[in-house]
Amino acid sequence: MTEPAFFFSEVNQRQSVFHRRAFVMGGLASLGLAALGARLAELQIFENTRYTTLSASNQYNFRLVPPPRGRILDRNGVELASNRPNFRLLLLKDEAKDPEATLQAAATLIPIGPERHRELLREIADGPRFAPVAIADDLSWEEFSRINVRNPELPGLQADMNEARVYPFGGAFAHVIGYVSKVTAAELKAAGPNPDPLLLNPGFRIGKQGVEKSLDLQLRGKAGGQKVEVDSKGRVVKEDPAGDIKPIPGQEVVLTLDADVQNRALEVFGEESGAAVMMDCRSGDILCLMSAPSFDANQFVKGLTAAEYTALADYDHKPLFNKALTATYPPGSTFKTMVALAALEAGVPTSRTYYCGGAWSWGGRVWHCDKAHGTLDMKGGIAQSCDIYFYQTALAIGPNAIAGVARRFGLGGTFDIGIPGQKPGVIPDIAYKRRNFPKDPVWHPGETPSMGIGQGYVNVNALQLCVMCARLANSERALNPRLIQSIGGVAQPAGSQAPGLPFKPENLAFIREAMAAVVTSGTAAGAAQLGLGPVVMAGKTGTAQAHSYAGGHGAHGAVGAWADRDHSWFIAFAPADDPRYAMSVLVEHGGFGAAAAAPRAREIMRVALLKDPQVRSRIVKPTPLPAMPVTPPGVIPEGAAPPPPTPLPGQTA
Amino acid sequence: MTASAITRPGERDRLSVKLGQIDWRLTGVITLIAVAGGLMQYSIAGGHWQPWAAQHMLLFGAFLLLMIVLAVTDLRAWFVAAYPTYVIGLVLLGAVMVVGHSSLGAERWLKIGPLHLQPSEIMKIGLVLALARFYHGLSAKDAQWSWKLLIPLGMIVVPTVLVLKQPDLGTAILLAATGLTVMMLAGLSLRVIIAGVVAGVAAMPVFIYLVMKGHLLKGYQAQRFLTFLNPDSDPSGSGYHILQAKIALGSGGILGKGYGLGSQSQLNFLPEKQTDFIFATLAEEFGFVGCISILVLYAAAIVIALRIASISHSHFGRLSAAGVTATFALYVLINGAMVMGLAPVVGVPMPLLSFGGTVMLTVMVAFGLVQSVRVHRYTEVSRGAGALI
Repeated sequence: MTEPAFFFSEVNQRQSVFHRRAFVMGGLASLGLAALGARLAELQIFENTRYTTLSASNQYNFRLVPPPRGRILDRNGVELASNRPNFRLLLLKDEAKDPEATLQAAATLIPIGPERHRELLREIADGPRFAPVAIADDLSWEEFSRINVRNPELPGLQADMNEARVYPFGGAFAHVIGYVSKVTAAELKAAGPNPDPLLLNPGFRIGKQGVEKSLDLQLRGKAGGQKVEVDSKGRVVKEDPAGDIKPIPGQEVVLTLDADVQNRALEVFGEESGAAVMMDCRSGDILCLMSAPSFDANQFVKGLTAAEYTALADYDHKPLFNKALTATYPPGSTFKTMVALAALEAGVPTSRTYYCGGAWSWGGRVWHCDKAHGTLDMKGGIAQSCDIYFYQTALAIGPNAIAGVARRFGLGGTFDIGIPGQKPGVIPDIAYKRRNFPKDPVWHPGETPSMGIGQGYVNVNALQLCVMCARLANSERALNPRLIQSIGGVAQPAGSQAPGLPFKPENLAFIREAMAAVVTSGTAAGAAQLGLGPVVMAGKTGTAQAHSYAGGHGAHGAVGAWADRDHSWFIAFAPADDPRYAMSVLVEHGGFGAAAAAPRAREIMRVALLKDPQVRSRIVKPTPLPAMPVTPPGVIPEGAAPPPPTPLPGQTA
Repeated sequence: MTASAITRPGERDRLSVKLGQIDWRLTGVITLIAVAGGLMQYSIAGGHWQPWAAQHMLLFGAFLLLMIVLAVTDLRAWFVAAYPTYVIGLVLLGAVMVVGHSSLGAERWLKIGPLHLQPSEIMKIGLVLALARFYHGLSAKDAQWSWKLLIPLGMIVVPTVLVLKQPDLGTAILLAATGLTVMMLAGLSLRVIIAGVVAGVAAMPVFIYLVMKGHLLKGYQAQRFLTFLNPDSDPSGSGYHILQAKIALGSGGILGKGYGLGSQSQLNFLPEKQTDFIFATLAEEFGFVGCISILVLYAAAIVIALRIASISHSHFGRLSAAGVTATFALYVLINGAMVMGLAPVVGVPMPLLSFGGTVMLTVMVAFGLVQSVRVHRYTEVSRGAGALI
């Protein structure tokens, strides 16, 4: 014992205090542990159900399964838009803490250029918080499997497969069908607070133009769900096929277009700029709605680089512009059919003659014509497309009479064909002048002759002219054009369910005869021969001023700078005696209607006619025996049935 | 062995006698907890010994031997080592601030060759030893309330502040709470204790206000604290840990989902499942029954250790054993409260259950000290031998 005895009480005091306090401490620790036990009881016994539910929802996830987008077919079932498998590489934003490093890791597997790298970083920064970003599409199988093998060492990267939109014909249908591309932030915002979850799905694309846009919801379908067991990072551990919800595929859309006709139309335009529209003039179905030059819609699905887009947007032939619907032009002489019909309806006889000396003085001005046609009646006026004849005809009946007829034929109007972008153009009358020209609200007589030859204020689009031609050819109903044949198997109303045309049948018949004369003996006599024997076209040429030129006669620009040349029109229907197809063809800055538009119309029309079994039966027939007297070629009495087939010589019956 | 045999002079110093004096009940309880930890490590690795279970069990085996070695180490050796341990710990803490190896944004490690040294762990033992040694030489009156208490207060505050600077909130709380517990056990005036508690409660709103304003705690610590106050505010961000742990606990139910079948932990929903949140895994797979069993084992370890402290004849033995027991108990309580959503996430593991060699080493050294106090309960520790005061 080294310690003095007087410390004992002191030592005992320290000891007894410690004992008390240690007891309290043990009690407090036990109390604390008991509190933990109570908390456990609360969580595990009383709130067990709630947390079990949470645990299950943690464990199982519904993975969005995008529906296949509906195909778009032509009238014969040819695929105009369909889907193909696409292997791609995704960057999972919630896993890739450092997108820069993740992209660099990805670059060791697939090529990512510096520009693309920057673009992707921007996309990653801009997109929704948890939405993965597709950093590469169209991977080859080798690339795809290489990424899959190395997946465990590549956090934040995932290779998967989806379906990509593909347009087998590339550009031929781009203006009608449009294209799909990535959802923009603005579109997402426009979708409201609860957007279709598909819109957030990486790589999901929505329709941006044409049918893809106007029928986007029908084509899109409804997303399905796949019940999968996931870990906390959303990685799929196990699949549970029993819990799947099948996606509802997008509806199939069938168009009235005919791929053969449309492809031929784009083909015959070559480098030229313009539009071609063809309608079935019994049903109103649009067989061809083509704008040239076109662009490859597949490029838009992938996404254009700035340079590619600039190249398209800056080209003076305007490939992105739908010239069949969105561009309006003066119809030129094709409008004379309307002026003539208006005159007939106003009581002007077909025998009314005017003298054309190549120039005509009226109202203090000299009005020109292409050449001196001499004395012409109305049929000659149309066939020769004499301007001087129609200056005077227009003056005789006035702008309101012409406009009334033109509007009945669909000019200056728009049609419900299911795609946006139609520009109505202008069919002027006195009221139009009053409404739109507050500084000069009076229709001057000097403005009527210009209207008589489809110039001046008159502006139409190619679809309108085709409708006009189809209504002329049909002669009974004010046919409406139809582009969408069926959506998801449900047929859309036919264009033939339309009111009748309130014109005298003989007047309409006269216009058709005159149009036939244009091809047989008139302005298009050389250019519009189909070469299909008895099946011939009827048509009307048009040459429209693209540029205000002051020179008058002879200065019609078929020469000179491309952008200064006249627009070339041709409207036609065939067969002339039993019309099936009507069309309008515009060649921008093509010069004379007969030179540029008519031959193209002829080629396009041939395709449609040769595909038509009824027309074929008239063309394809055995060579007539020399002994048998036949009607001269090209002249078949109206309504005549084709002669019965006769056996070839040498064949025994 | 008879009582007369053990009272024979020199008999207590024999190794076989010392080994017999080790509390094998306590050793058994510790081993049970560690084995449960190994089982859980095995489960969350998807039924594999790697990467956690094997190392956990091997380390425990090694540290168990260490505990026995420490248990037979003379208590006077502990007494002599008390201040040096504290000073070394303090120096290393200072060194960490200068050349610390940063891990997860906190400078806690000192890399000496292949050795990762965490000075705050040395300090956990060193502080208790130093305080026990100090109080060993202090009169009951002075321990109650006198200017001399500034010395133990300083002993607590200096390492606490250094650890807080690293920043390691969990260890800082542990150090401060352990130190204050030793002060109370040593006989701090009840009035002072009550006044301290009242002041602490009163200061809470001020503390919360300062944290919210961005003072006091570093970014993620402040975030964790605020998330604790309102865990539903950001379920996938800072509140994620708490929420997922609560889901794991709650979905365990009474009997649990079964060994190896806890979806929360098996599927990685639980963060740091092998370390700080191992208890949640246990709760998910073994349910309420499993949890209570483990808590009972912890309670048994604490009670046995405190009883050992109480039977010691030396004040140093009493205070040091009780002090490290306090550390152990605080580990369990803080981790439990954290996992159950009752306390902020501060990064304190569940001793012996969690994976991690450093903490296991600390805990086993602590139990070595407790065992040593038991083995040497009759040893007289000189009041002034080597004492500064």
